[in-house]
Amino acid sequence: MFSASGFAKTWQYIQLFKEGLICTLSLSALTVIFGFILALVLALMRMSKFKPLSWFATCYVELFRATPMLVQLFIVYYVVFAKASLPSFKLFGFIRFERFFPGVVALSMNSGAYLSEIIRAGIQSIDHGQTEASRSLGLSSKQTLFEIVLPQAIKNILPAIANEFVTIIKESSICYTIGVQEIMYAVASIKGATYRIAEPLLIATAVYFCLTFPTSKIIAYFERRMSRGYKR
Amino acid sequence: MATNAELIKVSGLCKYYYNGELKALDGVDYSINKGDVVVVIGPSGSGKSTFLRCLNLLEVPTSGEVVFKGVDITKKYYTDKNGNKVKLNIDEHRRKMGMVFQHFNLFPHMTVLGNMTLAPIKVKKMNKAEAEKKARKLLERVGLADRADAYPIQLSGGQKQRVAIVRALMMEPEVMLFDEPTSALDPEMVGEVLEVIRELATTGMTMVIVTHEMGFAKEVGKQIVFMADGKIVETGTPQEIFDNPQSPRLQDFLRKVL
Ligand SMILES: Nc1ncnc2c1ncn2[C@@H]1O[C@H](COP(=O)(O)OP(=O)(O)OP(=O)(O)O)[C@@H](O)[C@H]1O
Ligand SMILES: [Mg+2]
Repeated sequence: MFSASGFAKTWQYIQLFKEGLICTLSLSALTVIFGFILALVLALMRMSKFKPLSWFATCYVELFRATPMLVQLFIVYYVVFAKASLPSFKLFGFIRFERFFPGVVALSMNSGAYLSEIIRAGIQSIDHGQTEASRSLGLSSKQTLFEIVLPQAIKNILPAIANEFVTIIKESSICYTIGVQEIMYAVASIKGATYRIAEPLLIATAVYFCLTFPTSKIIAYFERRMSRGYKR
Repeated sequence: MATNAELIKVSGLCKYYYNGELKALDGVDYSINKGDVVVVIGPSGSGKSTFLRCLNLLEVPTSGEVVFKGVDITKKYYTDKNGNKVKLNIDEHRRKMGMVFQHFNLFPHMTVLGNMTLAPIKVKKMNKAEAEKKARKLLERVGLADRADAYPIQLSGGQKQRVAIVRALMMEPEVMLFDEPTSALDPEMVGEVLEVIRELATTGMTMVIVTHEMGFAKEVGKQIVFMADGKIVETGTPQEIFDNPQSPRLQDFLRKVL
């Protein structure tokens, strides 16, 4: 299965893993940022008193949660961006933008659907008395949302957002199917060049683990510290 | 003369829940003049909180009017003094009415100073230094000058409620609404909060206070309103209400609480 020569051959292409790592991290970071913004908009739309808005947001969330990520990715890459010729330049000198960008869009759209439910729960968990106190002081509903409700809600759901980041790091591997040069793309390239698969996969496993395991431990640590702060 | 000083006039105020099956307020008429200290008493569920919350429209009445300084704030539009139809901005009216809640409702993510200066800065566009100076003065008045930079979680219940009161005072309201301000407090902290309210009463602040503290009601109340089943059953001076109750409902209530 594994052999010393296999590792030696794989090692010659270690540069591809370095690039894959950079790509995976950029993909995940951008997805969390755009996904969060989309999620915030969706959550606010969903709680809106204007029915068509909340109806649209509900449909969006349900649709994206009920269909496979791969289908969403292919629709975005092959259908939505098929005709739109994206500028073909390279990020960091190697990431092909015309593939990377649809990947970010698809992952963000998917992640936004999940995160919006987390944000909505976070907003709804804030005591209604907070809103009443704010409104009774003469703050508008918008000021109340941005000054009082959201700061508290987001602080509460920060651990959940960080966990979503860990999930996205893993799920971003799916973007290899549209040729985004992330970690799994490196595995496939090395397999093509060396006819070895076990060794590249083992390295990919190690890289993913080193990314996600410490991250989730750090999140858990801050989660404990924060909940302690609240109980004082 | 009396109508000149009229601040709030409530008429035919109703608040129904469950399509009218529950009548939290069932036709309330009452006038509050400048400088009045009105204490609202009554059994649990009689509609005291609902009445208070309808005054600043935290609760939207099912029907009836709440006229605040000549403007019916339950309507979407009003006619200004030049006869023009103007869209009503409820926030403008709310900032003239301070409210103090049973559970304080301080903002936990802000310091005492932050809590107090938020509305003046955001709503009145007061500058920060000026707002903080004003806040410190008020804190001193209620004996909390040294707690300006504390977070609500670091305060006792009595301290929280005193902060909540001065937070409302920061907006220089024309009337203060209190909904059972001492009900969530440990007994030994009730006194310090009542003391602040008592002092406020001597400054001529118009106040509407819902309370279960009958001794306090008797002492600071200039008018007592007794509510039962969503209606005002009896009103009068503390002497009239406590020493010479007329209605059987009130007599019964006083027998139970005194
Ligand atoms: N949001 C609501 N939905 C349904 N019913 C409500 C709501 N708010 C109040 N009520 C009902 O309206 C009635 C009056 O309530 P309210 O809170 O005004 O009474 P209260 O006199 O303040 O009582 P307490 O002394 O217990 O505070 C009660 O029967 C209550 O259950
Ligand atoms: Mg009440």
